[in-house]
Amino acid sequence: MIVEGAVLAIPRANIDTDQIIPARHLTRIDAEGMGEHLFEGLPDGAALLASRPDATILVTGENFGCGSSREHAAWALTGRGFRAVIAPSFARIFLENAYTNALVPVTLPQATVDELARAQNIAIDVEAETLRADGGPPISFALDALRKHFVLGGGFLQYLNAKIPGIRAWEAAR
Amino acid sequence: MKRSLFDKVWDAHVVEELPGGNALVFMDLVVAHEITTPPGALSIEREFGDKLYEPNRIVAMIDHVAPAKDSATALQAHTVRTWAKRQGIRFHDVGDNGICHVLVPERGYVTPGMTVCCGDSHTCTLGAFGAFALGIGTTAQAGAMLAGCLILQRPKVMRVEVTGELPFDATAKDLALTVIATIGFRGGTGYVLEYTGSAISALTMEQRMTLCNMAIEAGATTGIIASDETTAAYIAATPGAPENWMSQAADDDAEYAATVTIDARTVRPVVSWGTNPGECAPVDGCVPLDAPQASLSYMDLRPGQELRSIEIDQAFIGSCTNSRIGDLRAAAEIFRGRRVSVPTIVTPGSQAVRRQAEREGLHDIFQDAGALWTHSSCGPCLGMSMGVLAPGMRCISSSNRNFPGRMGDGGRVHLAAPAVVAASAILGRIGSVSDLLRRDEENAGAAQRELAVTA
Repeated sequence: MIVEGAVLAIPRANIDTDQIIPARHLTRIDAEGMGEHLFEGLPDGAALLASRPDATILVTGENFGCGSSREHAAWALTGRGFRAVIAPSFARIFLENAYTNALVPVTLPQATVDELARAQNIAIDVEAETLRADGGPPISFALDALRKHFVLGGGFLQYLNAKIPGIRAWEAAR
Repeated sequence: MKRSLFDKVWDAHVVEELPGGNALVFMDLVVAHEITTPPGALSIEREFGDKLYEPNRIVAMIDHVAPAKDSATALQAHTVRTWAKRQGIRFHDVGDNGICHVLVPERGYVTPGMTVCCGDSHTCTLGAFGAFALGIGTTAQAGAMLAGCLILQRPKVMRVEVTGELPFDATAKDLALTVIATIGFRGGTGYVLEYTGSAISALTMEQRMTLCNMAIEAGATTGIIASDETTAAYIAATPGAPENWMSQAADDDAEYAATVTIDARTVRPVVSWGTNPGECAPVDGCVPLDAPQASLSYMDLRPGQELRSIEIDQAFIGSCTNSRIGDLRAAAEIFRGRRVSVPTIVTPGSQAVRRQAEREGLHDIFQDAGALWTHSSCGPCLGMSMGVLAPGMRCISSSNRNFPGRMGDGGRVHLAAPAVVAASAILGRIGSVSDLLRRDEENAGAAQRELAVTA
């Protein structure tokens, strides 16, 4: 699977989930419509998005997605067309949510992320765990060996559903 | 290998080791509220029929917006309400409800050694009971309801040893903020914080919940505290709590991936000045000279500015961090016989807390002081209802997050303990209890001088 597209760079640390999507929009019983409110909590969010309206790859700073557990943050990104986020580090819950929503979370050292923030276009080979910026040399990264499966189309809930007999047996023997 | 408390709880719940360092971890309890549950709950019903792993391992409630503020939040609440009924899930409706992290322990749903998850980052609160309790996303929560398990990377364990005794005016909230400032706003990422030491043993269960509540604000997966006599006494006094549970503690020479030691005697009443909970300083201190420009400009502060010079527009006492009966008692002590000078909202963490406070007459103290006494809700903590800020408004709050826009678009939040929030509400600016007492003395002196002149 190749995830390729235009880059939006927001090179700031600690963009929390309230900035990705403010709590006032967490009022639906489904995951729809969240893309309209992406980065509403960033003072310059609308202008940043308007500067690269076709962006599908976000390059950002450390500790992206910290704060609340709201999966709405991942839904807001995918709802707006983003397919990957590249950062030096992610908050745990956001990282888990990204994987279950097939939003590719790429972790790379700060210096590499700084270079990628200047790229126009990035192509990510999910299976090979490499990416190329503007046709440059491949850069390797590591995905979670299990959760990569959920990005590649394996359903998260289907995976757990198949585990139920084993879980019941474990519980019975507990 | 000698194991930490967390290791023991984790090991006892691993069903299967999975590729990539992941594990299938059994969840004893799934907590469900109206904001994050509906999409996942409905997708299970759609895709897997009526199948839930075990409805008895789920407890649901209305907590964030209670009662609903509009049709959208009413639909969220009604979705959880009807789903719980369809699936035979225990449910706490408006009137009998509370913030989940307050309600779950007070109804006896959590005991030491359990695993608990909820689609809410502050689920770490329940680590106060020696449980492994963590926040997760909606889909992971749906997975735990469908299959009884989460898929998790095993976190490392950081021992946070707090030695000595807290000074009389420093609280669990001050300790929580001090821990974050010490290890850093993202210093706990990838770790569970295992709190130990004499200052931790001395905390009440409510105070331990306040401390564990903010483990997520250091990026940690959760916090955890070994059960002891204090835990046992709390559970024994909780109607509905199970009588049988096993006390667990770390091995004497357990190995930890990291250790941090904090001398409790150095903990001061603190207040946040910036835009994350690690950006805090003693109430009688100043904004640091090296404060990041982005935080300063959002908060409209300058380096070196005295925190006590900052005027506020609103005060809030509530949230899953500080809304339990002990918090309300501490605030009432400050409000008694005084008047607030800014709009002040006091929101109990659950309807049970509300009723207890009213039995003690605390609601009269708050209202005599001019504060608004509300029913239980998450309220303005996350900018959803009952006290949302306008751009530029400044609120001192006993809650847990001061991110830009957290309590309302453009609103500014200063985090502090309930006593500091109450003192500030009266002063109209950030101030400690000592500042308030000093003002009272000055006022009394002025009144006496006036009397002398009149005579």
